[in-house]
Amino acid sequence: MAITGNLETFNFIDIFQILKKDKKDGILVVESPTKKLAVYFKEGDMVYIREVVKIFYIYLDIDFNQVLKKEGISKDDLYQFLVSRLPILLAVKKGKFSFTPGFIKYPSDIKSLIPLEKIMMYLSRQLSQEEVDRKISDIKLVFEKAENWTEIAKKAHLTEIEKKILSLIDGTRTVEDILNETKINQLTLQRILYGFLATGIIQRKKQKQRKIGFALTKTLLQKIISRIKGL
Amino acid sequence: MPEKKQKQIKIVIAGPYAAGKTQFINTISEIETVQTEARTSQAQEKEVKDHTTVAMDFGRITIDDQHVLYLFGTPGQERFDFMWDILGKGMVGLVVLVDSTDPSTFHEARKIINYFESRYPAPFVVGCNKQDLKGAWDPKDIRTALDLDEEIKVLPLIALDKESVKNVLLVLLEDIARHL
Repeated sequence: MAITGNLETFNFIDIFQILKKDKKDGILVVESPTKKLAVYFKEGDMVYIREVVKIFYIYLDIDFNQVLKKEGISKDDLYQFLVSRLPILLAVKKGKFSFTPGFIKYPSDIKSLIPLEKIMMYLSRQLSQEEVDRKISDIKLVFEKAENWTEIAKKAHLTEIEKKILSLIDGTRTVEDILNETKINQLTLQRILYGFLATGIIQRKKQKQRKIGFALTKTLLQKIISRIKGL
Repeated sequence: MPEKKQKQIKIVIAGPYAAGKTQFINTISEIETVQTEARTSQAQEKEVKDHTTVAMDFGRITIDDQHVLYLFGTPGQERFDFMWDILGKGMVGLVVLVDSTDPSTFHEARKIINYFESRYPAPFVVGCNKQDLKGAWDPKDIRTALDLDEEIKVLPLIALDKESVKNVLLVLLEDIARHL
């Protein structure tokens, strides 16, 4: 199924969050008014960025070795090329994106070169107020650390202030509590929490008990279920 | 003899603008959905549809002589979010709809989820509407985009199809049963 959209309403962090979570293999195509870029993903990590003149050129090669051959680069140069082209990709703010899962066959020795979590945290530090309000929309939200947060946080290369905020996330403090306790600028806090959520370091606190605003009995609920089934 | 007053059970159908809330209710309600619509005013909204829900709309399903299930649809636009508070009180469950073909609607759905989870944490499910259309996102990817964990059911939906709407409601009711 599709993973397509517009970069103005669905930014790179949001896209990377989806590709990383599911450890997807495939090609992310980014079309801005001035550039056409193909970003190659292996197991949810970015391994190569290529600029093309026409989109269909991307789909002429189904083997990653063939891509490298055409581009005239060796596997040893991949890191250098990725680092030099990453700013070009991340500077694209307007345009369309579309992810084609699978499609490309990677050799087994192609590994992650830059942790995507590090890129996502870097991007989160530059988010606008409008963007952070999309995820951190409520000061009453409570977050908790994810099960594997230490592993992700290590890959994300957190700053000192980010580490401090992370230490305060305990499943009881609201966003408002953290604001009051640290006196941190609200936008900065929202950016940090956005990055944490997108990378999977934290998650919304799971509700142990949900509130049902009516004295429902199991018999009445069964009646409702039967009624709906019979419609 | 005066008619005996029926107890009202409330399920809220929330979601971004044009996610299909009114259609969802229309498809399953035993009465013609009571709508409070107005002509859309903002240019962007006009491109999507001519009329929109401004207060709420509701449908009804009679359960027995004493109970009736109401499905309340909340207005999609953020400027009507005061209605979320009114409708959230006393609900037994929540269905949040998204337009699977338009990822920009995921952000508003997340805001709605954040709001209700912080104030009225009732059982809820997400219905990924327009799954029959080209360019529809996979519910699994929509789950990640909405920052939801595996506990929350994120379901494919075609709001025009009665069986699809029934499935979403039944999954919600099963979830409610787990919390009784």
